[in-house]
Amino acid sequence: MRPFPDRVLRLLLAVAATGLVLSAPVGAHHSFAPYESTLQVKMVGTVTAFKWANPHVYFEIDVPDGTSGATKHWLIECASTSILNRAGWKFNMLKPGDRVTVIVSPLRNGESAALLKQLTLADGKKYGNGAVAGPATIE
Amino acid sequence: MRLGFLVLTAVVAAGAIGFAQATRSAGRSTITGSWEAYPIRGEGFGSGIQPKTPVTPPKPIPEPPLRQPHLDQWRALQAHDAELTRKGLPPASSGMACAPQGMPGVMQATFPMEILETPGQVTIIQEAFNQVRRIFLDVPPVAPEDADPRFFGHSTGRWENGTLVVNTVGVKEVARVRNAPHSAAMRITERLRLLNPEILENQITVEDPEYLTAPWKWTWMYKRWPGYRIEEYVCEDNRYFEDPELRYQRLKVN
Repeated sequence: MRPFPDRVLRLLLAVAATGLVLSAPVGAHHSFAPYESTLQVKMVGTVTAFKWANPHVYFEIDVPDGTSGATKHWLIECASTSILNRAGWKFNMLKPGDRVTVIVSPLRNGESAALLKQLTLADGKKYGNGAVAGPATIE
Repeated sequence: MRLGFLVLTAVVAAGAIGFAQATRSAGRSTITGSWEAYPIRGEGFGSGIQPKTPVTPPKPIPEPPLRQPHLDQWRALQAHDAELTRKGLPPASSGMACAPQGMPGVMQATFPMEILETPGQVTIIQEAFNQVRRIFLDVPPVAPEDADPRFFGHSTGRWENGTLVVNTVGVKEVARVRNAPHSAAMRITERLRLLNPEILENQITVEDPEYLTAPWKWTWMYKRWPGYRIEEYVCEDNRYFEDPELRYQRLKVN
């Protein structure tokens, strides 16, 4: 099974080579340990869903794979609504069809879901995902 | 019509007097209002604003002074869970199932909390999981044998020279701090006092003759966050479940 396109894999390996290890405190709801916190991936995609709810906010994106021409669907996990409100988000700031850039840590088990580190909207505004998810360490 | 207005005025005035009594009781400062954990946490967890007069932060919670064999079992479980988490397979938790933290974990102020002083009662509302606990003032303490198990137990309290002393019994055994086991006989004593106008200290003492060889003590602190409105936190879209085979916290992806 090959969970990521080649260009993403190359980026993963580049980030892994830095040896960066993030240790996040445990949040209110669950551990983020199923995500590969030492790896960060940048993807550009189109939003297909945005669910503003607790315990965590989620959005989904379609990401074109440059080599095969296929599209891969990703579920992106965010923090709680209150954390995001305090981090400057708004409940209606994403809608299907929006083009976004995300920096994420994928699940370790290869499923196509990832923990958000940074969201960049089409207008260039950047948003973090709270202290437990941690900051983006790549650009 | 005029009589109705007079009655309404009297009711409002009585309410205002009651509130003023609650907020200036015995000349002390009120603890009513919103609070966040201190030291100040990172993005999204609070205001990010340091207090005008910082105080020395509390020390981390020490290891629970558990009786044997509970201490060895607890240490082994901690190591086991840490190892699984390091591998990306964190064990399922009550938090994952959206159960409240209960006492005393709710008082670590994971998210901001609101304290409300009203006549005869202090109410604490923790934003995470919409948790609410009620402390009844100046009433006889509840006997452990009369306290049906609850996440927040049964809390009674009194003001002693500016310190709110709270006694809690009847905490459900699933409500744990640092995963330490406890019995139905557990008693929690909290001593809440203002260190300065912005910082509230909570000295916690856990006693449990069945599980502990000595009182388990630590301190949590909170910083005032004037004007903060506690948000709603209803677990309506929980996508986490326990993997049936590996028994770890797993996200429902599709």
